[in-house]
Amino acid sequence: MVGESKFSLFGLINGLILCCIGIATVYPILYILAISLSDTASVVQGQVTLFPKGINLDAYMEVLKDTRIPRAYLNTIFYTGLGTFINLLVTSIAAYPLSRPDFIWRKYWMFGIVLTMFLNPGIIPNYIIVNTLGLTDSVWALVIPNAIWTMELIILKSFYENMSAQVREAALIDGASEYRILFNILIPLSKPALASIGLFYFMGHWNSFFLPLIYLNEQSLYPLQVVLRDMLIFNDGSGPGLVDAAALAPQAKKNATIVLSMIPVLMIYPFVQKYFAQGVMLGSEKG
Amino acid sequence: MAQRKLMFLVPFIIIGRRRDVPNPSADKGITLNKPSLLSRITASFMRTLKHMKRDRQLLLLFLPCLIFYIIFRYGPLYGLIIAFKDYSVFEGIIGSKWVGLKHFVRFFSSNDFLLLFKNTLALGFFTLIFGFPVPILLAISLNELRVKWLKKSIQTFTYLPSFLSVVIISSMVIDFLSPSSGLVNKLIAALGFEKIYFLIMPEWFRTIYVVSDIWALMGYEAIIYLAAIAGINPTLYEAARVDGSGRLRSMWHITIPSLMPTILILFIMKTGSMIRIGYEKVLLLYTPTTYEVADVFSTYVYRKGLVEANYSYAAAVGMFEALVAMIMLLSANFISRKAGGKGLW
Repeated sequence: MVGESKFSLFGLINGLILCCIGIATVYPILYILAISLSDTASVVQGQVTLFPKGINLDAYMEVLKDTRIPRAYLNTIFYTGLGTFINLLVTSIAAYPLSRPDFIWRKYWMFGIVLTMFLNPGIIPNYIIVNTLGLTDSVWALVIPNAIWTMELIILKSFYENMSAQVREAALIDGASEYRILFNILIPLSKPALASIGLFYFMGHWNSFFLPLIYLNEQSLYPLQVVLRDMLIFNDGSGPGLVDAAALAPQAKKNATIVLSMIPVLMIYPFVQKYFAQGVMLGSEKG
Repeated sequence: MAQRKLMFLVPFIIIGRRRDVPNPSADKGITLNKPSLLSRITASFMRTLKHMKRDRQLLLLFLPCLIFYIIFRYGPLYGLIIAFKDYSVFEGIIGSKWVGLKHFVRFFSSNDFLLLFKNTLALGFFTLIFGFPVPILLAISLNELRVKWLKKSIQTFTYLPSFLSVVIISSMVIDFLSPSSGLVNKLIAALGFEKIYFLIMPEWFRTIYVVSDIWALMGYEAIIYLAAIAGINPTLYEAARVDGSGRLRSMWHITIPSLMPTILILFIMKTGSMIRIGYEKVLLLYTPTTYEVADVFSTYVYRKGLVEANYSYAAAVGMFEALVAMIMLLSANFISRKAGGKGLW
């Protein structure tokens, strides 16, 4: 902001502290990567600290041989793809009427929707509704009950609102139907906002662990996060208790599984960082 | 838009007038000027119908959203009545027997109640007290960092963990603290101390929970503050510099006061949701030996309700938690407004 000397004492100390923080945040992730690539002997002897020793892909091979993990991976991809698609579709449609200032009973709709952010009945009533509707043990239990996140709906609604009303007016005068305005004009114009909320939906599905845990009973339906938890943490609160779960499974294989589950996220990360920050901002303004 | 809205009212205004034209034979026009109640209701009904007809396409687009909110957001609220019933899967929500406050009485008189209350408050309080200032400090010091590329990369690093799932974060915690292979214990051993079984020791649980929370979330929350800092008028800094203020002083007198509204609002929100513990992580990190400090309302609800299938009892506990959370949010908002600041609403 101001052209001061870069080498003040304060700046130096500040920079050093921040570097430490930066290292502290990435180091655990790099460590996991290093373990997953190292050979068993070096891992057991504890020689791996930052760089992998005896680089090989054995651990990954082992993970792929484990029947549970590839299937869980495919499940997660399927749930995430379908879920995010439905989220985006429903949200982008629902936000349009709400963005119209003259939409009938708009005030009451908005009140009813915002109110749900403050009323949270908890796990059990949600479970009972989903169970009563017979959605459990299917992908729909993960997709339908969370088809709209209120925060993302409000974000998109305000994005539509900010888009020039004239575009809409002009289209209306040209005789375009509301459907055409929405699908042919508004949605293509709101790609940045859709990318932002889509990212949050995507992350929500990819990292979802609790909902599949309670709604899916069949092992073959488990997504990656649930399998990871069974593998890595081994603690459902009913067993004799974990003394040292980390010792139970081979380190390299565990870490390889973690890395595999992080790969899609880390791959999109550089590209979506912008949308992520934007989404956080929009959310906080509306919140 | 506003004009369009008035336009379609025009016919009604005209019709209304025509009907209200004072009868020349009766001179007391005051009462006659008011249309009868019935005609007013009819008129407003017709108006609504007209409005609905005009908005039929929008209403159709809105329908899925409406159904979703009714079933999946208001349905569970209705489902809460099972807290006053003995819910059984076969009899359904409506068919189950009413039992009044039985479950609440049972919960409040059990030993679990005080313990859960204490644990939930303690965990929430520590997370708030230690976790809240970190993103602010991070944002302020990132803002003071003048080396562009370093600032960018540290920012990138710090919000990377918010992309990781709670399962991965928990398993990293378990891995790093493991007595046999964890880095932390290796370090402790190298310094000549005895290994610590962190995860089965109740006295460590809160520390582990809070520290891993800060690690995972500080970057994410700093984004909001960074954006608020970016919105501060640069001329303020210029003026301060001309007046001979150093960077520390500018930070203290400009950056921090300018951030105050944001800080306050986030603080209210955080206080309001203080007892909404990230139960997923507790669920992943606690063990029977640490239940005495780690068990919170929501994990208890999960165990009682979904593991042991005591739906009604668990719903009662969950309802109590929701009520406490709501009271806390309302009072945080109230206090902030009384103190002269802005509330959320």
